Amino acid sequence: MLKNYIKLAVKVMMRKKYYTILSLLGVSFTIMIITVFTSFIDQIIGENSAEPNRTHTLILDKVTAYNKGKAESGGASIHFLKEHLKSLQSTELISFIAKNSYVSFQNQKPTGHMVVYADQNFWDITKFNFEEGRPFRAKEVENASRVVVINIKTKEHFFGDSDATGKELTIYGKHFKVIGVVGAAAPFSMAYGDMYFPLSLDANPNATMGSITGNYSAMLLARSSDLQEVRKELRSRMRLLNNKISGADSVKVYAFTPLEQFAKSSSYDDQEPEYGKTAIMIFVILLLFMLIPAISLINLNMSRIGERAEEIGVRKSFGATSSTLVGQFVVENVILTLAGGLLGLALAVYAANVLVEIINTFDPLFKMPSDTLAINWRVVGLSIFSCLIFGLLSGVYPAWKMSKLDPVFALKGGQNND
Amino acid sequence: MKTQITIFKAGNPDLNARPMIQLTNIDKIYRTKTIETIALNKVNLEIERGEFVAVMGPSGCGKSTLLNIIGLLDSPTSGELSIGGQQLNSFNNKKLAAFRNFKLGFIFQSFHLINDLSVVDNVELPLLYREGVSGSERRKRALEALEKVGLRARTKHYPSQLSGGQRQRVAIARAIVGKPEIILADEPTGNLDSQMGEEVMNIMLNLNKTEGTTIVMVTHDEHMASKTKRIIRFFDGQQIN
Repeated sequence: MLKNYIKLAVKVMMRKKYYTILSLLGVSFTIMIITVFTSFIDQIIGENSAEPNRTHTLILDKVTAYNKGKAESGGASIHFLKEHLKSLQSTELISFIAKNSYVSFQNQKPTGHMVVYADQNFWDITKFNFEEGRPFRAKEVENASRVVVINIKTKEHFFGDSDATGKELTIYGKHFKVIGVVGAAAPFSMAYGDMYFPLSLDANPNATMGSITGNYSAMLLARSSDLQEVRKELRSRMRLLNNKISGADSVKVYAFTPLEQFAKSSSYDDQEPEYGKTAIMIFVILLLFMLIPAISLINLNMSRIGERAEEIGVRKSFGATSSTLVGQFVVENVILTLAGGLLGLALAVYAANVLVEIINTFDPLFKMPSDTLAINWRVVGLSIFSCLIFGLLSGVYPAWKMSKLDPVFALKGGQNND
Repeated sequence: MKTQITIFKAGNPDLNARPMIQLTNIDKIYRTKTIETIALNKVNLEIERGEFVAVMGPSGCGKSTLLNIIGLLDSPTSGELSIGGQQLNSFNNKKLAAFRNFKLGFIFQSFHLINDLSVVDNVELPLLYREGVSGSERRKRALEALEKVGLRARTKHYPSQLSGGQRQRVAIARAIVGKPEIILADEPTGNLDSQMGEEVMNIMLNLNKTEGTTIVMVTHDEHMASKTKRIIRFFDGQQIN
């Protein structure tokens, strides 16, 4: 039966070229927008080959110190993190990082580079693919060795196609030896950097010694998937500091995975994230993306199926029930939307690159890599799922309406005579 | 669906003893806000198993309405209808659809073939709605039906590539593929020239003779009607003979 429906769907699509093109355009643009949107979200929250532990790596990037009713928030100082995040039971690894930026000039053209100062644990929490060389080791961090790991984009910028490992890079007027080249991380990720230096090379920690806030973050790889456990332990650690730390009555730290932070939407508090609300919000946004084109497609389908009244009459005469007819027309519509969806996916690949280009024009210094909004299987899966929803949304009502057609009326092609 | 097969299984001696089609006091009234049109008025009719009857009358006399009611495509305003000894007034839409599929085959004046489907796919159509018939079985039975109407060589063609007579023969193949006990033909030769009309009529006569299929044919053509066993005449919604 399904084979029969598919054959018929293809025939009808080929015969009604005008409707088909119009429908395909509507569906493909909708799916293109959904795919690019999804890819964007996926870059913010999703795991990837550089960060396979992203869903259970908490980013502690904010502390609030309360002092006599006043609150002071910011990043943490390295001193505070090292002192109070020591030997947490609920975490497997902790890495301390700071981010900065550097502008290089080549042929008098400025280019911005994201600089990351990290310790050796950073390379164990993340799983960067080393195109060349190796990460820096504990000894190099300890000794403040002048070494640097760069990403592909930076390698191409400074060294072109030739190997970078072993070569020298002059940054901030100092010489650093390139020891490794990695693929790029997701640009919205804490782990994204164009250049990675050993933490001990950061000039800032001395300035923040003794204070609670600073410009450091921590990446905490949880021991289990129970992320609340980590926050519970952090809270109890912070409670120990009540009235016992200089310059603050109490301290709060905020540690969430990118997904959790996303699920908390705009609220940046220390409450547990509520996924339900965010899921509903995303669903509503996707639905809104689909609603208007779906309504247009419903209209198109109504007239398209309306032209097939005679066929409906024949099928009913020979024993088709309303539900089998609904099934047939919905399958036809889903096939049409899936075809549009595939077209939309292809368009999305192109549109994602265009979007990155457009975003890049806004910042003359920092350019995102052109494959920033890469469309992975997760995104493809969601897009195909959206296609199915879209197909059902736009197909069920017209199919139901037409399946209720009186067979005698339908056999007359919608005309009344004897 | 299995229960339907049980319900509609032929061979029950009690049911077989009754007329194949029985209409008792059938009225069909079409009502709009301003007009009431009586299409059928107290029709009482019995058609026996294996009969080939022609229904004749001027346009608007209610013969197509009668055929639609017997074909369960339309419901009477009042009166009782039984087919194969089964009283059908209480059947819901799903049961009626299954009943149509198992018991009835339709042939229309304007063929009503699906232009997007090949000849063989058109013929297979009734079997699509019958559970338990595999794709290969469907194909085998469709080819057999096409053989009977002499169109075995045209299976891959599309309706638009066939003549009127050939299209009507495809429609006959479609009507008989499910081996129904009754065929309802609404002016089957109305759109055909006399030679093709004769061909189609001969196929139906042969079907009636060899398979014992009950056939009810609405026609305007006295010549074609004269070939059947009985002519039922209608005028103003009433049977007049």
